[in-house]
Amino acid sequence: MAAEDMGKVSKRLRIAFAISSVIFLAVLAVSPVKDYLSEWRHYQNGYAQFAESRPDTKTLLADFHVGINQIWVPKMGVVDRCTTCHLGITQASLNDSSVPEPYRAHSYIPHHVEDWGCVVCHRGQGRATEVSEAHETTLAWERPILPISDIQASCGVCHRADIPETPRLNHGRELLTKFNCVGCHHLEGIERPAMLGPDLTNVGTKVSRAWIYKWLNEPRTLTDAQGNVTVDGVVTGNEPRMPKFNLDEKELRGLSAYLSSLQSHPPEPYKINPAVVAKWQKNPDTVQRGELRFRQMFCSDCHALAMVRAGTTELIGGDIGPELTKVGSKVKPDWLISWLRDPQAYLPNAIMPRYHWSDEDLYTVSQYLTTRLTDPDLLSDVPKLGPAPQDEIALGKRLFVEKGCSSCHVIEGVPVQKDFGPDLSGLGSKTVSELYFGNAKIPHTLVSYIEAKISDPHSVNPAARMPQYHLTQADLDDITTALLSMNGGAKRLEVADLTVPQKHPEFHPAGEFGKLYDRYKCSVCHRFNGYGGTLAPDLSYEGSRAQRQWIINFLKNPGTLRPTLTVRMPQFNMTDEEAGTIADYLKTAMQSPDVDLSSVSAKDFTPQMAALGKQLYEVKYQCQSCHTIGSAGGYVGPALTNVANWMTPAWIEAWLKNPQALDPQAIEPRRDFTPQEIQAMTAYLLTLKQARPAGASGGAR
Amino acid sequence: MRKAALALALVAASLVVLPACKRASPAPKPNPLRQAYGTQQDWNNPGHLFPLDYQQTQGKRIFYEKCVWCHADSTPAGPSNRSNLNPTPPLINDGATLNPLSDAYLENVITLGGAAMGKSAIMPPWGRTLTQEDIRALVAYIRAVAQPPYQRPAQPGPRYSTR
Repeated sequence: MAAEDMGKVSKRLRIAFAISSVIFLAVLAVSPVKDYLSEWRHYQNGYAQFAESRPDTKTLLADFHVGINQIWVPKMGVVDRCTTCHLGITQASLNDSSVPEPYRAHSYIPHHVEDWGCVVCHRGQGRATEVSEAHETTLAWERPILPISDIQASCGVCHRADIPETPRLNHGRELLTKFNCVGCHHLEGIERPAMLGPDLTNVGTKVSRAWIYKWLNEPRTLTDAQGNVTVDGVVTGNEPRMPKFNLDEKELRGLSAYLSSLQSHPPEPYKINPAVVAKWQKNPDTVQRGELRFRQMFCSDCHALAMVRAGTTELIGGDIGPELTKVGSKVKPDWLISWLRDPQAYLPNAIMPRYHWSDEDLYTVSQYLTTRLTDPDLLSDVPKLGPAPQDEIALGKRLFVEKGCSSCHVIEGVPVQKDFGPDLSGLGSKTVSELYFGNAKIPHTLVSYIEAKISDPHSVNPAARMPQYHLTQADLDDITTALLSMNGGAKRLEVADLTVPQKHPEFHPAGEFGKLYDRYKCSVCHRFNGYGGTLAPDLSYEGSRAQRQWIINFLKNPGTLRPTLTVRMPQFNMTDEEAGTIADYLKTAMQSPDVDLSSVSAKDFTPQMAALGKQLYEVKYQCQSCHTIGSAGGYVGPALTNVANWMTPAWIEAWLKNPQALDPQAIEPRRDFTPQEIQAMTAYLLTLKQARPAGASGGAR
Repeated sequence: MRKAALALALVAASLVVLPACKRASPAPKPNPLRQAYGTQQDWNNPGHLFPLDYQQTQGKRIFYEKCVWCHADSTPAGPSNRSNLNPTPPLINDGATLNPLSDAYLENVITLGGAAMGKSAIMPPWGRTLTQEDIRALVAYIRAVAQPPYQRPAQPGPRYSTR
């Protein structure tokens, strides 16, 4: 090769080398430039300028330095760099909606950001230093930021027992229980109850094939285009627990044939005394009398009826038992009478109490239910079905299992299916790529997936077996929050040791009281040591509160103590012996450790004390704002007209000292009464006796 | 030579431009209810919901436990005790009455009761029943549901925008 050629080559080489050096330098320079132009630097500069514009610049910039900020909580695996941009998160003066994000302070919460980091509650990618990577779903990160409206799900990850601070989560969990979601799905922290849907072993003795067909096709519920739910033609927020399954004509015929053939142990027919029937049969007031007794027995505490109030029809009554507006077109009259007498003979787990019925009440009430609460058009759209042929019965029997009916309904001889639907106990920690969205046109996020699955299961999966529920947007949001809290045991967040477990205290007393407790289903409405319903007062300390004779009088003839309440204790027509057994049990077993019944006696009080107490009650403390005596006073607390016959003196004193010590839910505030004032007011209250025997208008609350 | 320069310019340009090619993050839909810990229905307009933060939601809970009986026209148990009282207590959302009162005054009247503040004794003191935190939450809730809306006293310093 010639020398000039060599020179050419080396010149080219030099140029190539120069170019590559420049490229190399440029590439090297990119990194600092990128760093300099990074988003977080932009936000940090912004924060510094923003702080300058505030009067408390010094405080705002005390800990400020340019660079990545990080919260590191090793025991929870938290490495959160969110505070790199969210610089004012702990600055009290920036807790105001006029402060621009990302500088606004966190609104007040009980957990400090330094101790917990951010993603434990908010999700998102804590290690990221770019806005979109920290907040959104990326290829590498599938737990995006949770909307604040669902943030209570994060509380529920550790707080398995309900806490008052998370109303939305608690309500969502309540709805999961109410709608029997555990019938088909395994759900963390929600146990399978003894009975989900009714036992159908003898359903053929209760209702006709046509009614079953109608019910399966349209379980009383209709939803209009606006999403309003109507039950028996009345708009309501309370949907029946039975959802709508998408069944075709053949399936409806099969299932109705099979179910109506189930009559293996018909209930023992009860013959009402013919003299009673003869007396009432021709009486034009029979139905009216039945309606009156229906009201007097306070059936509406548990059962709703459609009624016209102020021009609009509403469902009035409780939702512990089924709504009864059209029950007369549903059940067979003979079945109804034996059910009313002894619900547990038909459904061993029924929560309806076993009343002592007189034949007169039984006849008139059942006449009222079967002739007045009817709808002649109820079954008009059901095709003529006729007696059930064998092939349809066989089809129905097969469908009962295939459709998952046996998840909620028991039939003797048919095995109960558990976990018919997918296990949802880890749903809240599922990543987007683990979810199947089908053709659904919804954002690909866990939250919208759950919402779509619940509001319309077929929109996500046309072959879904899940039935159709009709939820309001608020209920839908709350259920979504509750499902998002289920993360399969909290292990993934490494906070398992912080989990607050849920307690299931049960109260099943033995002996004579136990039998009555079971017969009258006390725990459906009352609470005993944390177990039972919340409709009626907690009876855990009833033995300390009430006098024995008052309890007996009340059980025999329940009255009302709170004038505004529409819910009242039903009248069970108890015997004296039964009432005595219950009173004795409550007096001995249901006592508060804070009330020493022997420490105070009514004899300790003088008329002078009572006069002072009256003065305090009426003038200084104005107790009449909330309590009624006679016919004057407020509606908030119970009426005190007969309190001397009702409460024990020791209870009154203890209550005045600290109401919340005896009932944490008590509305009455704890006051700063002196011991003399307490004594005086107790003395005054012990003068308040009703002239009539207490039982005649005793009191419920 | 020109080609090389062109290539160089291209590479340099792409290095500058590439970082800007990132997917622009879509502007989040401004739904204040999605960003709220809880909500409260506006008594004057049932279709309207107030967004509440954590503290205001706790205030709402305490209000519906203790205060609703006299400071609302309908209660969870039915009729209200409000019409029964003289003087009539203000509704909790009565901004015209409550907005001019300072946070400190409201906290005091809840804690110490009406009598201690020169008002009617029918407002009991809650300082031994509720914690200081509960009472602050109540005041935050009162501010959140006020109609007409509550305006916090103006803070010194100009408003600032990040963009």
